[in-house]
Amino acid sequence: MSVCTDKFRTTAEAMARLHGFEGYRFVTVPHPIASLELPQLAHLAADVLGEVLAILEVSE
Amino acid sequence: MTADAVDDAGDDAADAADAAGDAGEAAPGGMLIDHRQVHGAIEHYYERGWTDGLPVVPPTESYLAEFLAQVDRSPDEVVAAMPHLNRECTLRLAAINSIMAGCLPEYFPVVLAMLDALRADTGARGATRFSSGLWQSTTGTVPITVVNGPVRLRLGFNCKGNIFGPGFRPNATIGRALRLIAMNVLGLKPHVLDQSTHANPAKYTCCIAENEEESPWEPMSVEAGYGPEASTVAFMMMRSCMHIEARSAIRPEHVLSDVANTVARTGVLYSEKSACLLVVSPEHAQLLASHGWDKKDVREFVAANAVCTREALERAGKTGISRDMHWLVPSEHPDAMQGEEPTFERRDGQDVHFVLGSPDDVVVVVAGAANAGVSTVIELMGATTAPSGRGGGRLPAMSEIVMSSRSATTSPRPL
Repeated sequence: MSVCTDKFRTTAEAMARLHGFEGYRFVTVPHPIASLELPQLAHLAADVLGEVLAILEVSE
Repeated sequence: MTADAVDDAGDDAADAADAAGDAGEAAPGGMLIDHRQVHGAIEHYYERGWTDGLPVVPPTESYLAEFLAQVDRSPDEVVAAMPHLNRECTLRLAAINSIMAGCLPEYFPVVLAMLDALRADTGARGATRFSSGLWQSTTGTVPITVVNGPVRLRLGFNCKGNIFGPGFRPNATIGRALRLIAMNVLGLKPHVLDQSTHANPAKYTCCIAENEEESPWEPMSVEAGYGPEASTVAFMMMRSCMHIEARSAIRPEHVLSDVANTVARTGVLYSEKSACLLVVSPEHAQLLASHGWDKKDVREFVAANAVCTREALERAGKTGISRDMHWLVPSEHPDAMQGEEPTFERRDGQDVHFVLGSPDDVVVVVAGAANAGVSTVIELMGATTAPSGRGGGRLPAMSEIVMSSRSATTSPRPL
C-alpha cells in the first residue's frame, strides 16, 4: 500500500508500469507534506483513510 | 514527455540504430548530401524524444562499427544497469549514444571506463549507487567525472582554464554521452523518472581533467595506486558547484578557511554529513605546496574546520533528526525523534557540528588556469568510495581506460 503526494503521481505510475503493474492503485495527498505540522497531517490522513481501506479491501 | 514514453525508452534506444540507417550513410566519393536529409535526420531524433534538448549527431551503422572497433569487448555486454527500473544498457547502445553526443570513435574507451567507474561507485552499504534512486532524486544530482593520465593530452582534454565551461570536444561530448545514455537507454527523462526539482547546468555534461602538468602534487590516479602511464576516469555525484575567491591569500589557512566555510554552509545539509570534491587552481596549489602542504594536509584542515555552530543550525531549523531518513529537521517537527540532535562538540566556547565525517570526505584534484586564486568546491552526494588510496585514504570510484589491442602491439593497450 503506497501513499505519495500528487506531485509524484506521474513518476509513481511510470514506476508501476516498469515493473509490470499497470494500473497499480495507490493514494495521493496534496503536496507538500514535509513542511506540515501534526494537526495538518492528521487532517490529511483522515481525508484519505477511506481510499486506503478501499484499496486494502478492509471495511471500517 | 508523458509517462507512456518511459516504457518505450529502452526500445527507443535500440531503434536509434535502425534510425541510423534511415539517416543515410555518408555518400562515397565526397558526394554532397541534401541539407534537408541532414536536418530531417536531426529533427527525427527530436520527434522521438532522443535528445537532451540540443541537436544530436545521427549515427550510421558504419560509424557505429568504428566505435565498436575501439575496444575488445562484446557489443552485447551490459555496461550499465538499473535493476529497479528494469533497464540495461549494452555496449552497443552506449556507442550509439556516444555518437549522438558528438564523440569521436577514439573517445569511446573513455566513455566505457566512465561507465565501469560508475558501476564501481558504492555507498556505505557496499551496493552500487547507480542502482539506487540517486539518479532520480529531487536534489538533482549530477555525474561528474575526472580524467587523469596521458589520455588527457592524446585526446585534447581541456584541463587548463574554463574547465567547467564550453569549447573542448572530449570534455563536452564524453560527459554528454553519459546523460544521453541515462535519458535514452535507462529512461531517466525529466518530469517522469527524473524528479529533479532544479538540477544544475552540469547535468548536460560534466567531465573535467586534472592539470597534472601544473600541479605540485601527484595526480589522483597515482594517489589511487595507478602508474603514471595509466589513464583513468573517476566518478562522483555532484550536488552543487561553488567558486572560492581567495585571490590575495598569503597563507594556506587563508585559502582553506574560505573552503571550509563554503563546505559548511547549512543549505547543503539534508543529513548530518556532507562530502566534497575540492578543485584547486594551480595558483592555490602552488601556494599550499610552497608552505609544505600536501593533499593530506588539505583534507585534514578542511575536515577540521568545516563546522556549523548550533546557533546557525537552529536558525536554519536543522537541530532535529527525522525518524526513518535521519534528515535534519526542526526540533519541533512532527517527524523529529525526541531527544535526538546532530553531534556537537565544544570548541572556543560554542557548540559546533562537524559537517564532514573525516578527511576522506574531501577529494582533492588540481585543475584550471594558473591565472588567479580561484578554486571550486563541488558538493558531493554521499561519501567517497573505494578503492583506497595509497596513503590509506579513500578515493572516488575509478577505472582504467583501455582500448582495443587490434591497434596495438600489446594487449590490451592503455590509452
